[in-house]
Amino acid sequence: MNEKRIKNILKLSGICFVLIFSLVPFIWMVIISLNERPDFLLHEGFRLTVANFVDILTMGNLHFLDYLKNSFVIASTTALISSLIGAVAAYAISRITFTGKTLLVLTVLALSMFPQICIVGYLFKFMTNLGMINTYGALILPYIAWSLPLALWIQMSYFSRIPRELDKAAQVDGASRLQTLFKIVLPIAAPGFLSTILLLFMFCFNEFLFALMLTADHKARTVPVGISLFQGLHGELPWGYIMAASVISCVPVILIALIFQRRIISGLTHGAVKQ
Amino acid sequence: MSRKIKEPVLFILPLIFFIVVFLLFPVLGTFWNSLWQDVSFIARRFIAFSNYVRLLTDGRFWQATLFTVMFALVSVFFEMVFGMITALVLNAHSRLRGALRGIALIPWAIPSVIGARIWQLIYRYDYGIANILLGKAGVGPVNWLGSPVGAFTSLVVADVWRTTPFVAIILLAGLQTVPDDMLQQAQIDGANLFQRFFKIMIPLIRPILIVAILFRTIDAIRVFDLIYVITGGGPGGATTSLSMYGYKFFLTGDFGYGSAISVILFIIAFLFALLFVRIGRLRA
Repeated sequence: MNEKRIKNILKLSGICFVLIFSLVPFIWMVIISLNERPDFLLHEGFRLTVANFVDILTMGNLHFLDYLKNSFVIASTTALISSLIGAVAAYAISRITFTGKTLLVLTVLALSMFPQICIVGYLFKFMTNLGMINTYGALILPYIAWSLPLALWIQMSYFSRIPRELDKAAQVDGASRLQTLFKIVLPIAAPGFLSTILLLFMFCFNEFLFALMLTADHKARTVPVGISLFQGLHGELPWGYIMAASVISCVPVILIALIFQRRIISGLTHGAVKQ
Repeated sequence: MSRKIKEPVLFILPLIFFIVVFLLFPVLGTFWNSLWQDVSFIARRFIAFSNYVRLLTDGRFWQATLFTVMFALVSVFFEMVFGMITALVLNAHSRLRGALRGIALIPWAIPSVIGARIWQLIYRYDYGIANILLGKAGVGPVNWLGSPVGAFTSLVVADVWRTTPFVAIILLAGLQTVPDDMLQQAQIDGANLFQRFFKIMIPLIRPILIVAILFRTIDAIRVFDLIYVITGGGPGGATTSLSMYGYKFFLTGDFGYGSAISVILFIIAFLFALLFVRIGRLRA
């Protein structure tokens, strides 16, 4: 009886901890974005305004909508292509025996450990030589490579749980390997495919160092870089704008996290903990 | 027979293309570049390991190395503690469990630059809420970002906030594999709550604990975004990580030296990975 009480107290304080820990800094961002001044605590107190949001969405010279569009196009293109390439490769690796398979998987895994800084200096020169700096391609191509290890890893884990008898039956009926993958295996592993796309979207939407080095202005610059480079006219950081832009940029990823919480967690778990 | 050999090659060809062209070549290229004097507007010159010799006597490089390792160790330690607490909460039965799991993901889901901006504002000396709250409690304002210790602490707090959800999710997967009846049996045998946690749960999930530590350490060693936004590497280079230090050379067009720093960073990440895999094996 006594232990049950301790357990309940621990559980309740744990829930409070998680809520405060996760939400308070986030709520603070929303409060600042809706306030006339970021230093309101020292002065007149909270004064509600949506001016920061209106400005950030309407003032063309801030380019926030450009950044948002760039981020969306780049992150979703990458997520889709990388998940598909990963699915096809994961299928081959989990279903077909060929020499060098283990080596391939280990190499891909090892490469995903590389710090991004080890890649970005070379990529900068490479993209400059190709004349691709400050284009979508300059980010999409490296992002695909950078996210492929995760796409491969997650989907290998999902595919390995689908009984091979299903493939064999389809092949007996005359389906090619590719048909088997797209008509039999992938539909069954659809939750895994969705998890992969969502995770890759979030990773690319968040990525900073590549985007910082490989873009130059609003033509290809993404949201994280835009938010990190916001400067006020007189050196003072425009906190209202920064926080309003942050709130808007958080909406898509938070919606994904809340709605697809199960898929995200399952994807991360499959990526990290190979069964 | 020949079709059977070609098919898997065709399937993995796109993967290999992207990995080779945009990961493997750049990594090898970085190593190759580190052997050259490669500064903008000056002709390239092969200098073998001279960049590495220069590193040995570069005080700022050693400062960055020390900072990077300290940052990774301290951050990962606190991430494991808070991640475990969060995982236990998310694993407990409650009506809020689904919503709690979604909410707990938020700090990790939002772009790290945005998280960094939030903390940067919280730490502001004059009107940051950290100092205003401390002032209300009667403690003088802390120069969070202007002193080396303050800046280190600020960055660790921001990193722990951002990545605790990730650790929690990994550990949660481990907690879910702990059989309920084993815990119940231990309870019947008289083990209290804490004994059950430390004597049964922790040993059972140790492999996953090591995976989480490994992932997080490798990730913390390459820290860049947070530092770029919150401290810019300051004050006086006190919070310049190796990624940040290398970036500064790329930015000024010194690709040879920047590449050498990147190679060292990779070696450090690799050594940590080996170390943890080793520890995991020895204990198992």
